[in-house]
Amino acid sequence: MSNWLESAVTRAETVSDWLSPKREASLALLREAKVPTRKTEAWKYTPVRAIDQVTVSTEVSASVQVESIDDLNSVDLVFINGEFDAAQSSSELPAGLTVSRLVDADDSARAWALSAFSNIKPDRHLFGLVNDVLATDGALIDVAEGVEIEQPIRIVSLLTQGAEAHTRVLVRLAERSKVAIVEQFLGNEASYNTGFAEYDVAAEAELEHYRFATQVNEALSIGGSHFNLGEKAQLNSTLIGFGSKLSRVDVDVTHAGSHAFAKMNVIYLLDGKELFDLHSTVEHAVPHGTTEENVRGIVADHAKVVFNGRIHIHRNAQKTLAELNNRNLLMSRTAEINTKPELEIYADDVRCAHGATIAELDKKALYYMQSRGLSRSQAQVMLNFGFINELVEQMPNQVLAEWLRPQLKARFAQMEVG
Amino acid sequence: MMSSEKVLLKIDNLSAKVEEKSILKGLSLEVKPGEVHAIMGPNGAGKSTLGYVLSGREGYEVQSGSATLDGVDLLEMEAEERARAGLFLAFQYPVEIPGVSNLEFMKASVDAQREARGETSLSSAEFLRLAKAACKQVDLPLAFLKRGVNEGFSGGEKKRNELMQMLLLQPKLCILDESDSGLDIDALQVVAEGVNSQRTEDRSFIIVTHYQRLLDYIKPDYVHVLADGKIIRSGDASLALELEEQGYAWLTEKEA
Amino acid sequence: MTEQIDKVLEREYEAGFVSDIESETFDPGLNEDVIRRISAMKEEPEWMLDWRLKAFAAWQEMVEPEWAHVDYQKIDYQAISYYSAPKSMADKPKSLDEVDPELLRTYEKLGIPLIEQQMLAGVAVDAVFDSVSVVTTFRDKLEEAGVIFCPISEAIKKYPELVKKYLSTVVPMKDNFFATLNCAVFTDGSFVYIPKGTRCPMELSTYFRINEQNTGQFERTLIIADEGSHVSYLEGCTAPQRDENQLHAAVVELVVLDGAEVKYSTVQNWYPGDENGKGGIYNFVTKRAVCHTDAKVSWTQVETGSAVTWKYPSCILKGDNSIGEFYSVALMRGAQQADTGTKMIHIGKNTRSTIISKGISAGRSNNSYRGLVRMNPGAEGARNFTQCDSLLIGDKCGAHTFPYVESKNPTAIVEHEATTSKVSDDQMFLCQQRGLDPEKAVSMIVNGFCKEVFKELPMEFAVEAGKLLEISLEGSVG
Repeated sequence: MSNWLESAVTRAETVSDWLSPKREASLALLREAKVPTRKTEAWKYTPVRAIDQVTVSTEVSASVQVESIDDLNSVDLVFINGEFDAAQSSSELPAGLTVSRLVDADDSARAWALSAFSNIKPDRHLFGLVNDVLATDGALIDVAEGVEIEQPIRIVSLLTQGAEAHTRVLVRLAERSKVAIVEQFLGNEASYNTGFAEYDVAAEAELEHYRFATQVNEALSIGGSHFNLGEKAQLNSTLIGFGSKLSRVDVDVTHAGSHAFAKMNVIYLLDGKELFDLHSTVEHAVPHGTTEENVRGIVADHAKVVFNGRIHIHRNAQKTLAELNNRNLLMSRTAEINTKPELEIYADDVRCAHGATIAELDKKALYYMQSRGLSRSQAQVMLNFGFINELVEQMPNQVLAEWLRPQLKARFAQMEVG
Repeated sequence: MMSSEKVLLKIDNLSAKVEEKSILKGLSLEVKPGEVHAIMGPNGAGKSTLGYVLSGREGYEVQSGSATLDGVDLLEMEAEERARAGLFLAFQYPVEIPGVSNLEFMKASVDAQREARGETSLSSAEFLRLAKAACKQVDLPLAFLKRGVNEGFSGGEKKRNELMQMLLLQPKLCILDESDSGLDIDALQVVAEGVNSQRTEDRSFIIVTHYQRLLDYIKPDYVHVLADGKIIRSGDASLALELEEQGYAWLTEKEA
Repeated sequence: MTEQIDKVLEREYEAGFVSDIESETFDPGLNEDVIRRISAMKEEPEWMLDWRLKAFAAWQEMVEPEWAHVDYQKIDYQAISYYSAPKSMADKPKSLDEVDPELLRTYEKLGIPLIEQQMLAGVAVDAVFDSVSVVTTFRDKLEEAGVIFCPISEAIKKYPELVKKYLSTVVPMKDNFFATLNCAVFTDGSFVYIPKGTRCPMELSTYFRINEQNTGQFERTLIIADEGSHVSYLEGCTAPQRDENQLHAAVVELVVLDGAEVKYSTVQNWYPGDENGKGGIYNFVTKRAVCHTDAKVSWTQVETGSAVTWKYPSCILKGDNSIGEFYSVALMRGAQQADTGTKMIHIGKNTRSTIISKGISAGRSNNSYRGLVRMNPGAEGARNFTQCDSLLIGDKCGAHTFPYVESKNPTAIVEHEATTSKVSDDQMFLCQQRGLDPEKAVSMIVNGFCKEVFKELPMEFAVEAGKLLEISLEGSVG
């Protein structure tokens, strides 16, 4: 056993609270767990040894300011190094929305949280188990039946130098409710965090979801967003991944009710020596579900990306429509792309397809643009941006899209090519 | 048109449902050899259903009534047996069968039908000659013989391909289901000429259409109006013109 | 409709008879002594025995792989007999006249006539029965062209330099559990050498037959295509219907030197077990080619047999401009399971690969495509195109796609696509409306689905494969 895993188990033994009954099951699994190696399919391309190399200190600075997103008018929930920061968080909530902290949840919040906790997130995620046993703070978000929350809810998790944090988010959308939730991860110093969120989307509810896994440099960030979709529920999710020393996201979508619709767009942009690893799994457990997954990425310099996109159609899931498309641009001779779209199909009357491509920027287009007087790097930025902008444009919240664009462009501008 | 006392197709008080929904509600129709019948009617009247029920498509359940072809009970037969008995349906939306060439498909079909009639199968060379002629007649390039059945064909090409199959199979009764929909005027004429060339004293046609324009080129002996699952009015070719001018509303209203 | 199709898919295994031939068979069990005895039976040189023992030692340290999407009873390696040969083979026949007539009848029954004058013109056959090569036809004619086509056991004695130089250079001794086992216990197989600039004057073909009970078949094939040469090689296999599972763990190595071309086609029809999954062959095979500069390898496989198939014919595209192709049809029904695909390792510049995989799943079967396309940093301008299509027949089977795509070179282009479909009610109805019965309709639609692969097979095999598929689908013995 490695230090981090051993230490997680040891520390977990001292955690005791209302979630303990749920934590125990995860702890039992964790005790049996092995540290992933190259032979562990889910970690084939991503070494985890970096976690043992980060120096975690108990004395971390917590006085940092989180930037707001102009014009978003969001309900902010800010966690600094895993602890809720009331001063930076919104104090007023719109009607129909209940938010509690994990540490001081009342009985009614505890009741539903206990049924959701670790039930939507599959227990095969090793770091999800770590989060199960160590996350002592986080948010419980409850949207009442039939309520449409206009303000997006923005959950920020910021890590400072030397911090280790485990935060957990549980979200419940009651029937016919509607909400947008942004999970934002910040902090580029050496730190280690796990951030997992579970979403229970009831019948006919609509969830707009964003995860900005944009920590870079020294940060080690492992987490996941996991969704359970009821009948006719709708999920529209956008994931942005930058990549750092170790950045791993697991996404699971389960179609538990029929006629649900899931749209997932993913953009990853990697530079330097960054690593980004995304594993997504869509479970079609019932008939008449629809999934559209579009994953696009650009990988430059010495960066490495790993994408594993699995679609699993269960025996009973007739009339499923599921498509996954993964397109990659490889910008440099030292960068690396590993992609594995998977289909596992047990029902015959379904329409499923996946595709994956890896190529470089269109040289002819590049030359054409240069011939009109653009510099090579200008042309590159434009072409790169064009490649991903289609997905940016599809973001339902255009304020977020506007906020995001310059950050994406800045990434292209600095990308090391060659 | 030539007409005899013999009846080729006899439908008597036919009722049928699809997925628990009644579509045909006591439809009767007699078609004698050599006759051309047009069946017109508003959308959802059951026009396509009639073709599917007669040709034995799965999911179309006959509740009562009868249908015979040449005196033989059609409804007891499997779909392929009905085809071999001489019933041909030109589909409104022909399905694609990737990888199976048109030629291969038609040869197999013709062989199966000849075998059922106790005839020897055609040699490949003989068949190829017939297929080429049919292909030319429907104005499709010969390359279409080698392409997968309906694979990547345009709407018009699919319709002409249906007609080509009809030319090769030489059926007794041809049911053309909206063979004119989506065709430009040139393609429409090709289809009409193809049908007209096949009119003989023992081959009959049922032309299912929403519009009158195909009937400018294929003169029907009878025109029937199908509404709410049964024939509510029959007449000669002039009925079609009347329908063109006045629509269907006056008929269905009167009926109600 | 599904019921109708299911009925069509029930069929009997045509090659399931047992031949009544007296055999000399080792008692079940595996140890160093068994390996020494195999080596002695084959009158092998010392170096060969040493090589085998080294492999055996390595194998004992290895564990059986479990990553494939297949599920089968653990194999008891001590319950298998590792050598079985017809008694009449004690003195190897010099010509067909000396071959046991019962053996000849067996091959005739399988539609593989070995009597030369009856043979399809232009196909030379090596027939391997249980552990030994029975006969190789047309050897004289091939020798005239300088082509060596003989049992590998013979090549070890007659052409030790060639064998030593190339054996296990493509599939290393410790490559994987089954390949290592094969190194230790292989008994026979084919050896082919095509000299520089030679176009092999005829198709070469090997037919494998497992007859004895409780035996495993471990054949080893080594094909060396010297610079600028060309050969087309076909392989077929059958086994009797038995209630026990039998293991077939073969290794095929292709060495394709500069500018040479090898076309390797397989029609795999091992006994698949009964409807309930009882019996049948475990087909755990390692096939790989190394392509040097401007070389080309084309793997074409039609897989209809075996209870469990685990096989990934692969190409290491080492030389610049080399080409790898993989065309596969796998039809699984009953309780069959297949986990098959390919690996294309692009090392050289401007290397190209094409993968077309057609999986058909019916009954309660599971059919998986598993593939790897890797663009190494040096694979400038390399290209890959992969198309994996699955056809599901009925709602009790499974069709799966697990492609690994890895690229480290920005000038390389990789494209992978996968789709699934079913035999639709509309297609069935169109066929029936034109007078075709359901059996014919299904087999026509399935054949159409496989067309891209069938057109890659050599003529005689294409006919055989089409027929095999039709038999598989027809349910009648005909």
